[in-house]
This record gives sequence, structure tokens and C-alpha cells, in this order.
Amino acid sequence: MSKYENPMSRQVFSLPELIRQQYDDLEPKTRTVLSFQEIYNIQRIVLTGCGDSFAAGMATKHIFELLTGIPTEVVPAIELSRYYSEKHLGVDCRNPLVIAVSNSGSVARISEAVQRARLHGSYVLGITGNETSPLGINSDKVLKLDIPDFESAPGTRSYAVSVMALLLLAIRFGEVRHQYTMDQAMDYRYDIRNQGALLEELLPQMDSICEKVAEEWKDFPCFDFVGAGFDYAAAWYGQAKILEATGKFAMHINSEEWFHLNFFARDAKHIGTVVVANTTNPGISRTKEMIKFAKELGRPMVVITDGRKEDFGEETTYIQVPAPKYPISMPLTQYAPICLIASYIAELIGEKYGRGCEEDWEFAAGGAGVKNSEIIVK
Amino acid sequence: MLSKFKITTKYNDVYDITSEVKKVVEESGVKEGICLVYNPHSTAGLTVYSPWDPAGLEDLDDEIRRLIPTKVDFKHQHDTPQDAAGHVKSALLGVSVTFIIHEGKLMLGGSQSIYFLEFDGPRSREFFVKIQED
Repeated sequence: MSKYENPMSRQVFSLPELIRQQYDDLEPKTRTVLSFQEIYNIQRIVLTGCGDSFAAGMATKHIFELLTGIPTEVVPAIELSRYYSEKHLGVDCRNPLVIAVSNSGSVARISEAVQRARLHGSYVLGITGNETSPLGINSDKVLKLDIPDFESAPGTRSYAVSVMALLLLAIRFGEVRHQYTMDQAMDYRYDIRNQGALLEELLPQMDSICEKVAEEWKDFPCFDFVGAGFDYAAAWYGQAKILEATGKFAMHINSEEWFHLNFFARDAKHIGTVVVANTTNPGISRTKEMIKFAKELGRPMVVITDGRKEDFGEETTYIQVPAPKYPISMPLTQYAPICLIASYIAELIGEKYGRGCEEDWEFAAGGAGVKNSEIIVK
Repeated sequence: MLSKFKITTKYNDVYDITSEVKKVVEESGVKEGICLVYNPHSTAGLTVYSPWDPAGLEDLDDEIRRLIPTKVDFKHQHDTPQDAAGHVKSALLGVSVTFIIHEGKLMLGGSQSIYFLEFDGPRSREFFVKIQED
């Protein structure tokens, strides 16, 4: 492990064992949390959450559609709680199925969103570590998470488990609705479990590259995270980790919109640019174009990929992440190097995670900023 | 004497295994005895049925589905509704059939063939043929 190791990087190094342990916990739970009747009743799915939980929804939205054939939206909690048309809630016998993710279950906006969804007749599956939390008590069914305690740091382990829980649910829905055989479903599941071993194998080389990148990028004022489709969630999550861990500015954008917006930024040589580029992504051709032009602009760049330099042809820094048997398993590990870079930069510049919730940030201590908010349900 | 066969099935399909069973009996050299055909699965069955009109097998399938429809309120929810229905079908139809070997041949009527019934699938399946001499 790096000489800059810290609680967040230790969370990353704990992921292989966590993936194996959480698979054993969640595989049986995701089989039984909804009955056949409930699974066959689903006409539409809404994934909702805040922060990392919202990113977990984005990471799995396409996978739900791919595996189940059920139209699936990712709706931010505040959109669901204040803006989402009530005409689209409570239709077709308690549809859509709202899957709300919050490990603590105490985020005010999530509580508000699920209360409103149920008020208007939707069915709510809460994914939370606390069944007696506001999310837990306002859900029709609860998928209980049991994430072993670890040193506090910007959520890395909880994100991994949220993504895994959603992936296993998607596999389960597709299996029960006979989109594929039980044998195929088990093969998807084994691939998910195997990501722990694949990550474990790659972590040493990943770590040494991330350490070097952090040393080179530690004084940059801002960062740009790019990814499309399946990879966008990791880009979104990356900007979140930079903000939380280092307090520096960061943006997230998809590879098409980058050509419409982010490439205009001045001082390109001091914008740390992280591109998430899964080689099986249908949008990979556009991402390759983006990498080419970012290179021409002189952007310091890291490409996080299951492929290699030969897949892209540009001279830049590549960080290899596991190449799963099925691309649906990709979101389980591809964010790991981003966490390492963010954690090492924080360590190098002496920054406290979340500014330590001290001084001007004291109002957010103990999660007060997201827990204490007026609830309006109508 | 025990012989093992492997088949790759499709969803809810039927496989005529008569020729394989007859061949095992003939090759065993047993003149008088018993032939047991067995499948070690819980969502597949074995039966004897008339081969002459293929539509007859569709009738069998229709009636099995009518008696044991794939429904979402099975109490066994660990796997899938197809799987739960398959367990019931397999239990009611049975997983083995026994035949008499007489004068070195399988005693099978002119309108009888032996069928492996897949109630789930596609799956990798197997069945066994056991020959017991008198």
C-alpha cells in the first residue's frame, strides 16, 4: 500500500474481501425481498437516491433495462419528492416500483421522496442498513444492508455495496421474469462475486499509478471527470470523491457534452482529467475522440479502462480495472482508482475529508446538512 | 450395468430417448431382466407416450400446463415460477420408468416411445439406463 495510505485508500484495499462477503450476504436476500407476484407486477422502475446512492442508481439503470426489459429511470430524490408528476405515480397497480437507496436511511429528501411515492400509490423498495430509519419505515419492503464497520472516509465501501445490491436485484428480476435461465442468472452472479478477486490482483499496479498521479496533480485547482452511459456514474462519483476528499472543484460530464462545454476551459495543463472508458461501452468511439482532443489541448489525463493503451492509441496514463466476463459487473470496481487518487491528493495537501465538518462546515456535522430539512409531502 | 447419457435441452421441450435405451439393452447381452431409466433432476420428467402423431406431444404439454400452470403464487420462491412449476410437474410425472427385458429386447409396445420431458431449460441434463439381469 502507498506511503500516503489513509482511511479512504484503506477502504479501497478492503473492497475485494467486502465484495466476497457482501455477495454472500446479499445473494439470498435479493432472492426473497420481493415475491414472484411483486416482481411480475413491475411495469416501470424508478431508482432514486442522493449523493453516492444517486450515482449507484445511474451505474445500474442501463443494467436494469438490459436484464429485465423494464423501462427504468434514475430520478434524483428532490425531483421525485417535489416535481415528478403524480399522474405517473400509482399507475398500473402500484407502479412504478421505486427503489430508494440510502445506507443510513436518514437522508431527509429520500424520506420525503418515498413518502410521496407511496402517497400517490407507488410501491417502494428501500435499500438501507437501518430498517427503523425514515427510509425503512416508509418503504413497503426493505432490503437490509449489513456493511461491516470500517474507518470513516468518503463512502467507498457503501457505494460498492449499493451497486452490488442493485445489480443483484436486476439479475433477480430478469431471472424470475424468464429473460434468461437460472443457470445464466447464476453465471451473472458468480461474475459479480469474482470481481473481488480480479480487483485484488490489479490493486498493486493500480495503487502505484494512482500514487504517482496524485503527486503530479496535487496542486491542480480543478478536475474534469468524463464518461458516457455505463461509465458516466463512475465519472459522476469521481467528481464527488474529489470534492469530498480534497475540497477542490470538480466537474462531471459525458463524452459528447464535453465537446459542447468542458473543452472550453482555460489553463488546460492544470485540469486533472479523468476519463472512464469501458471498452464494451457503446459510446467508446466518442470517448476515444474526446481523449484525442484532450491530449491535443495538453490536458493531464488518466484513462480508467478494462482495456489497454492499444485500444486507444494515445500516449497517456492508463489505469487498468477488472475486465469482467459480463460488462454488467463493470460498475462494481471501475471507481476504485478514482478513490485512490482523491485520497492521496487529500493526504498530500493535508486536507481533511469533508473539511472535518469544522469552522464554516460545522453545520454539516453528523450529516445534519442532509438529515435536517423540512419534509413536505403532497 | 449402468449407462449415462447427456443432453442439452431447450425450454420446456421433449426428447425421444427410445433408441438410446434400446441400444443399451441390446449391447448389454442380457436376455431376461429389468431396464430402469432414470433422470437425476427435479425439474424434468420421464414418461412413455405414443410417437405416431407429434401433435399428441403437444396435447401432453397442454394438459400438463393446464394441470400445473406457471403461476406467481407458488410458495417455493427461491428460484423462478418456471422452476417451481417444474418441480411439481416432475414430482407428478416421475423421474424414472421401468421396463421388462425379454428375449434380449426392450419390451415396448408398438405405440410406445420413451420421452425425456424438460420442464425448465435450456439446461445441461443427463439420464441413466440401468440393466439388471434376472
